[in-house]
Amino acid sequence: MTDSAPLDEMVDGAGGFRPHWGGLLGALSSLGRGELAERAGLLDQHFIEEGATSLLPGGANIPAWRCDPVPLILPPGEFDALAAGLAQRADLLEAVLQDVYGPQHLLAEGLLPPALVYANPAFLRSCREAAGHRRGPLLHLYSADLLRAPDGQWRVLSDRTAGATGLAHVLENRRALSRYVPELVRARELRRHGPFFDIWQDSLQRLAPPAADGRNPGVAMLTAGHSSPHWYEHVVLSRRLSCALVEGGDLTVRDGALYLKTLRGLQPVDVLLRRVDGRQMDPLEGDQSPGHGVAGLLDAVRSGTVRIVNDPGAGFAEAPALAAFLPALAQRLLGEPLRLAGARTLWLGDPAARAIVGADLDRWMVRRAVDGTVRSITAAALPDAARAELAQRILAAPEEYAVSARMPASVAPCSGPRGLEPRPVILRLFLVHDGRGWQALQGGLARAFPAPDPGTGARPAMGFSKDVWVPFEDMAEVQGPQQLSIPSLPIRRGTGDLPSRVADNFFWLGRYLERLESAARLLRASAARLATTSPSPRELAELKSLAACLVRAGLLDAETAREIGTIPVTRALLRAVRERGRIQSLLNQVARLAGLLRDRLTGEMHLALNRGLRQLAEEFDAVPLGRDEAHGLEALGHASAGVLGFAATVAGLAAENMVRGGGRLFLDLGRRVERAQAIVAELTRALEQPGAASQPAKLEPGLRLALELRDSVITYRSRYLTVLQAAPVLDLVLADEGNPRGLAFQLAAARDMLVDLEGKPGSPLEQMAESLIEEAGAMVRQVAEAPSQAEAAVRLRPRLVAMEDAVATLSDGITRRWFALLPASHSLGPAPAIWLRGAA
Amino acid sequence: MIYRVRHTTRYAYGSTVDLAAHMLHLRPRDLPYQRVVSAAISTLPEASRRQDRLDHFGNAVTWLFIDAPHDAFEVTAEAEVEVGYPAPPPAEATLPWERVAALARAGGPGAWQAAEFRFDSPMCPGVPAAGAYAAESFPAGRPVLAGLLELNHRIRADFRFRAGVTDLHTPVAEILRRREGVCQDFTNLMISGLRSIGLPARYMSGYIRTRPPPGQPRRRGADQSHAWVGAWLGPEDGWVELDPTNDVLVRDEHVVLGWGRDYGDISPVRGVMLGGGDHGLEIGVDLEPVGEDAAAGG
Repeated sequence: MTDSAPLDEMVDGAGGFRPHWGGLLGALSSLGRGELAERAGLLDQHFIEEGATSLLPGGANIPAWRCDPVPLILPPGEFDALAAGLAQRADLLEAVLQDVYGPQHLLAEGLLPPALVYANPAFLRSCREAAGHRRGPLLHLYSADLLRAPDGQWRVLSDRTAGATGLAHVLENRRALSRYVPELVRARELRRHGPFFDIWQDSLQRLAPPAADGRNPGVAMLTAGHSSPHWYEHVVLSRRLSCALVEGGDLTVRDGALYLKTLRGLQPVDVLLRRVDGRQMDPLEGDQSPGHGVAGLLDAVRSGTVRIVNDPGAGFAEAPALAAFLPALAQRLLGEPLRLAGARTLWLGDPAARAIVGADLDRWMVRRAVDGTVRSITAAALPDAARAELAQRILAAPEEYAVSARMPASVAPCSGPRGLEPRPVILRLFLVHDGRGWQALQGGLARAFPAPDPGTGARPAMGFSKDVWVPFEDMAEVQGPQQLSIPSLPIRRGTGDLPSRVADNFFWLGRYLERLESAARLLRASAARLATTSPSPRELAELKSLAACLVRAGLLDAETAREIGTIPVTRALLRAVRERGRIQSLLNQVARLAGLLRDRLTGEMHLALNRGLRQLAEEFDAVPLGRDEAHGLEALGHASAGVLGFAATVAGLAAENMVRGGGRLFLDLGRRVERAQAIVAELTRALEQPGAASQPAKLEPGLRLALELRDSVITYRSRYLTVLQAAPVLDLVLADEGNPRGLAFQLAAARDMLVDLEGKPGSPLEQMAESLIEEAGAMVRQVAEAPSQAEAAVRLRPRLVAMEDAVATLSDGITRRWFALLPASHSLGPAPAIWLRGAA
Repeated sequence: MIYRVRHTTRYAYGSTVDLAAHMLHLRPRDLPYQRVVSAAISTLPEASRRQDRLDHFGNAVTWLFIDAPHDAFEVTAEAEVEVGYPAPPPAEATLPWERVAALARAGGPGAWQAAEFRFDSPMCPGVPAAGAYAAESFPAGRPVLAGLLELNHRIRADFRFRAGVTDLHTPVAEILRRREGVCQDFTNLMISGLRSIGLPARYMSGYIRTRPPPGQPRRRGADQSHAWVGAWLGPEDGWVELDPTNDVLVRDEHVVLGWGRDYGDISPVRGVMLGGGDHGLEIGVDLEPVGEDAAAGG
């Protein structure tokens, strides 16, 4: 069997084309080879920009997702037979799970060996219900990988019962193909994906235990967050299913029920779509590693207030060795034979299986008996020493291994540099349970690999995906979800449902965007002045103030700043910008927060941030460090101007694309608070001009700089022409609520947003903002009424320092009021200190 | 023999705890040879929610949830238990140990539940050195109980009881090297050793009487939670319990709380809190025979 030739999906044995490829081949040939390769390149570029990460195993650097422009076509009759076979298999796995997590008759009767249950790390003892307890199904979503053997039959390679991955990629593949190869998509009428996702969404709602007050069921998807390799998928799926995307820290259990911590308080969650390891759902009963789980969650599940899908224990059924027992179990549990055969699998704990395999390991793929996440090993592909070692390990612990027959996968046409090339493909199909039966996604995901090593048949890990097409046959096939009597949704506005963590991230995204912009403003002002070879005393005075601002912003160290105006300082500044300095770390912070908020930003906004940040990092990296400082300063000025443009674009997109409530409010609030702080801090430093108290002219460079950093030079000129006086300048910078770059504007905007967030006026935070506005006005009045404005302005220093602290206090107050709903949790229990005395 | 047991655990927190969840294995298990006359668990502060169930192994579990701020948590378990272990079978009449291992490997009727305890578990992983140490007591064909008794004796003879030098995460290999430890270490060592040669072994959690019967030495591990080993003799003879810390076959000085694959399955008090900072811990265990107080005291 292992030596037979792979079957070709497109070409039949006689060299003709299989009829179901008909329409597509015409479209492909009219597209032409060169054009197809170009479209493939566009698809690659598309997925890189989308930030779609690969499902294939990889290291820390997960390569971008790739999708071939040429789909895999399955005839409808064949697809339906596969779907029916997988539905039966899912029913069988459900029955096995019910038994293993219930009475364990299969173990008592000897139909399942203890090694497959008790040594399986995915057998979660805390999920087992004592006999007699009734429980709901453990499987809700199921997927399987299949391969078509040379005899033309599809065979199941592996089962995915913990959480099927790849559904977001199915959606995105189809979307991308429709955009980049519309000619091909139009060539065939295809069964659609929509109904599957509608049924899924609908059935999630139905899973909710009936709520006493008739409210809508709360559905949430639990993810490990930004660090998860499947984060992209979670973002796409939660949007498609219209459910909240949450992390363990967003949830809390109170009195046996699950809640989402939101700005409005605790919102009930009835159904939790699990996208984290079942062992990490509840630190009280599973892994004590903090972070992903919620203490008391399993107690809530046992009390019936919340459903988790798939059940935390469902990963048990992924054990590869289970396949060896499924034919017998189908007879015992379903009373019928398996409709869809798996790849022939033997569990080596069975002496009869060991006799069959004998010494000839090369004919088999070797797998861990109970861990389906470990890649199979092709013994034949190993060097002699490694193969001998593997044989030794199997001999020492045969129970821990299973083998599957090696079979060449069928090949399908893929676009390549030389036109269409046949490549081996593995198919992944998905089913969801609608409460009555299994419904298959009308399509799937195929993965194509470089041709296997001809000698050993080993499949390389890297490959790309293909969309799977099932052509329509007649309109009667169209199916949709059953009508549901969900009460119509109440109209909601505002911020209430935003998880506190998300609000916190928006607030900091706002702060970092502003911090980046303000740093760029300082750099631009500095670059312009440093470029003059012999600065005037006025310019030198401005540079000294600027240097103090640069130090505060972390762009220059205090030691170097004293020598501002000299070439070494200029070089130091250029170096600091170019190397992994402050600017880079600000860019990284913005990128990190934008990543964390991926699920909350529109595609356009995400793209603008993603592209913009990449370009800016490149520009700053490219600032030349050569002997010609002027050249470097010019590049620095240019890159800084780029940041200002970027900030304006992002602010514009936020204003145009984001609903005013929720995230945008916190994004704006973060910007206002950050800008208010910078305004006060920079003004304080600008007014520090030696001798200015007695000689008003010495204050002028500081006043001019204060206006420039606030982008207010033109406004000032239009009001006061060229006469520079302290009171009018301070009014524009501090007290004029109409100047969008001035302090009062920031504080007034923050005050109004705080009223919005509270839903009513009079909160302590609002009063704090109001009193700061009054203080700003009072400072300006004092200077205006003083006999010497310059002297009065210099004397403002302690009040300005106090003002800077007060803005920081306002920021802390916002953090405590809105984000610190609950402190982080930690565990007691089998920890060293307790253990010492726990038992003796 | 009727015992009265009182087990108090008190946590004092460095800062206020807002929300706490605890999972307790503190109710003695009902067994053919252990009748629980009465059992009660009380806490300070009182829990806002309490659930009682049996776990996968059949042990009694109590979940407690506290949602009011508190600076200390105290849980007291009190019970009255009548203990009467049956006499073990004559050691030489038990099955050869290889036969017991083969039955456990095969599973199926009579053996499937015992089979669970022959596999590695998170806190009792397979350790080749422990297997080699245990194997010395199991030459070919030896009746299983004879081997178990000898191993139990060897651990008591070869290892020094010393508190404070080991902790939860001290690996069995390290215990073998140090040749000292406390009851958990000896229990883990014996379990790892038995599983390494294919024999099912389980971790027993409970208590040993605080004061010895008149005229006998005080047992090690009193005043504390205690741990010992359950070992399987085959479908006919079932389980027997051995205390390697004291080199005794468990008869009438122990009270069983429950069992699991290792401490992780059966820890008496386990919790997750929000807040709390550092914490201090006090544990007190008292196990006294009912109606013997006067005799023992006099």
